[in-house]
Amino acid sequence: MNRHGFWGNVRKNKTLLLMLTPAVLFFILFAYVPMAGIVLAFKQFNYGGGILGSPWNGLDNFRFFFESGNAWIVTRNTALYNIAFIIVNNVLQIAAAILLFEAVGKWFRKLSQTVMFLPYFISWVVVGAIAYNLFNYDVGTLNSILAAIGLERIDIYNTPSYWPFILVLVSAWKALGYGSVMYLAAITGIDTEMYEAAEIDGANVFQRIFHITIPNLYPTIIILVLLAVGNIFRGDFGMFYNMVGNNGLLFSSTDVIDTFVFRSLTTSNEIGLSAAAGFFQSVLGFATILLANYAVRKYDKDRALF
Amino acid sequence: MQNKKIFMLLFALVFVLATVLSACGGNNNAGNNTKASNAPTEGTTEPTTNGGTSEELVIKMLLLGGKPIDSDTVFGELNKKLKTKINATVQPEFLDWSDWIQKYPLKFAANEDFDIAYTANWAFYNDQALKGGFLELTDELLQKNMPLTWKTMPSVAWEQSKVNGKQYMVPNNKPEVIDKAVIIREDLRKKYNLDPVNSPESFAKYVITIAANEKSINAYNAKPGDGWKWHELDQILLEQNNEWNLVDANFPFAYKLDDVTGKVFNVYDTPEFKELLKYYKDLADNNVWSKNIVNNKNDIWQDMKAGKTASYAHNLGTLSSNLAEMRREKPEVELAIADLTPDKKKIAAISTQNGFAIHATSKKAERALMVIDLLQNDKEIHDLFMYGIAGTHYEAVGDDKFNATTGTANFMGFSNWGANSPLNRKDASYPAEGDAIEAAWQQKVYNFDLETFVFDDTKVKNEVANVGNVMIRYAIPLEYGLIKDLDKGQADLIKQLKAAGIDKLQTELQSQIEAFLASK
Repeated sequence: MNRHGFWGNVRKNKTLLLMLTPAVLFFILFAYVPMAGIVLAFKQFNYGGGILGSPWNGLDNFRFFFESGNAWIVTRNTALYNIAFIIVNNVLQIAAAILLFEAVGKWFRKLSQTVMFLPYFISWVVVGAIAYNLFNYDVGTLNSILAAIGLERIDIYNTPSYWPFILVLVSAWKALGYGSVMYLAAITGIDTEMYEAAEIDGANVFQRIFHITIPNLYPTIIILVLLAVGNIFRGDFGMFYNMVGNNGLLFSSTDVIDTFVFRSLTTSNEIGLSAAAGFFQSVLGFATILLANYAVRKYDKDRALF
Repeated sequence: MQNKKIFMLLFALVFVLATVLSACGGNNNAGNNTKASNAPTEGTTEPTTNGGTSEELVIKMLLLGGKPIDSDTVFGELNKKLKTKINATVQPEFLDWSDWIQKYPLKFAANEDFDIAYTANWAFYNDQALKGGFLELTDELLQKNMPLTWKTMPSVAWEQSKVNGKQYMVPNNKPEVIDKAVIIREDLRKKYNLDPVNSPESFAKYVITIAANEKSINAYNAKPGDGWKWHELDQILLEQNNEWNLVDANFPFAYKLDDVTGKVFNVYDTPEFKELLKYYKDLADNNVWSKNIVNNKNDIWQDMKAGKTASYAHNLGTLSSNLAEMRREKPEVELAIADLTPDKKKIAAISTQNGFAIHATSKKAERALMVIDLLQNDKEIHDLFMYGIAGTHYEAVGDDKFNATTGTANFMGFSNWGANSPLNRKDASYPAEGDAIEAAWQQKVYNFDLETFVFDDTKVKNEVANVGNVMIRYAIPLEYGLIKDLDKGQADLIKQLKAAGIDKLQTELQSQIEAFLASK
């Protein structure tokens, strides 16, 4: 069945393999080797024993998370936020990429791209400070404006119901530039002959977008969404922690697995408990990505990841 | 077909590399482990075979706080002296205040190379001692290598710093009172003709008046979002005021100071707490603190210096140096330290408030102990370590006082307190008010059996983690008056604590306390 044999294939593809090596090494070093640390989730860690020598304690480390009574709420919050981020961010990014592509004037296009990209470089700590100065009750910009035009001040930091919207908005604002570049690259790769043919046939700009651009973007969309789905049970700690902090009043609608675990464990420094929480997230993430991929395969075999 | 082959090939490659590399990783881990578990014995046996000071050693020291600007110069001087005395030099490493809580445990977890670590009851002492991070200090080791300390340290200080009957720390040797006070704007108090602030009621009157009249000033300020699980006035208004002592700030159990049976109770479930909630709610409704105080990230003392805050709570030492600093830099602003519970019993700091410990895997334990001995009890070296170079960083006034100089700021702000001892000098400009309050407090120090009790949370760590989380989520907003219905808020808090397993925690705590008292 195989004419060249294993080494024949290696020789034939040596350039490709060489180019792949750095990425493979990276994942081995930073993803596969540390995976052995999973054993900590089942151990009572102490310095004398280290990772391998510490005594086993079965599923004790997992008890903390499930006995807290918050496991369901924070897991639900994490998943719902991530689903909202995936949908809103991708829709906005695709829209922005298409608009940029259709926009006339190179100068305008570059400028708007830069402006959209800027927030990506601002650290969450700074974004948190900006948000506080915008939203706080006494001296925040928003409330000062409301007061100046004679409206009631709104107490954003003590009202949980505003926060899903604020967080989705901020996430979209921050990710827009970066995500739209990927889609823009995919659009630029679409064969221009199709557009020319469409123009000759008399298609208007909307028909071009809906019948050529978007269908051609499907593979990119599916890959990006599938990759994002794998992380659906991992909250963006930097974002949630810096935007909300330790404000207990908001936790009912803003607490995600990562912030919950961080808060519970900063005083006790139990490595085993945090390893257990991380393991729980990984298992859920693994299951979701298998399911999502299975669903894509059912729908269209060629577009699945594996 | 072709695709599939390439995929299989890649898969094989990844698999082979993964096996090889993880095998390496595994071996390394195993190597580290044997080293780590053998090291404590090495640490204790090595000196007997290789004692004396014939070999020059570099002692690495872990300290908390930002690196002082002039630390290289001062430690250079210090090392010259240490070299002639015990043939050793010290190499300090500073963990900045902003992230030491994350970094400190990692230094131990990664088994980094250091010999001396600053530690304290508020800086992981029990935690690290129980996890095996520190070397056990036997009397023999201490007598042999720390002659000066062995002579001057009172035995009660040694006793107070034992964990499960074993010594892991060389505690500091300067007892303090750790009760808290508040600092207020005395000029504003006079401006509005208010009575002197010396009780919870007069304090409430002061802050409410300021809030009503000085719109651009926060009458009281705090940083409740930094992970601390209590209102920052709780220590004064709940503990000191009722003569209770909280067993551990991570869960809400206290006992009455004069209760010899040491019966613990949930402070959230007391009439005193209910009353205090009304007091806080009244302040909050009068805008004494910002509605968004839980998200405040500002440095309170800087806000106060800038005239944006009119009161905050801290320990007496910090407030006194704040007062001295304001007098130096902004003499036009008048501050005062107010003790809100002047007639109540005071608690003395136990010796573990500051101290130095030896890293479990240090191979230079004996020499490291000699270094600590000199830092704490050799006048010349103690002065250098605590105050810097005479004439540059401080100006000696007699043998027991000093004056701050322009260079003072270049050598301060880190945890050299582990070497506190009777040799300490006092700031000659230390405010007389601070001294007066401290003298009054010393008169009222109340000693009790349980003052040295420490809780071992190994069996209930899940409950401790969950209870702490409930406190941040339900108690903090309730105490800062952000919840409208106090009764419902308090009931919710208690209900959530039950769900988090507080009863199991209480049983365990009570049984440890009874065992402790029985052994006395």
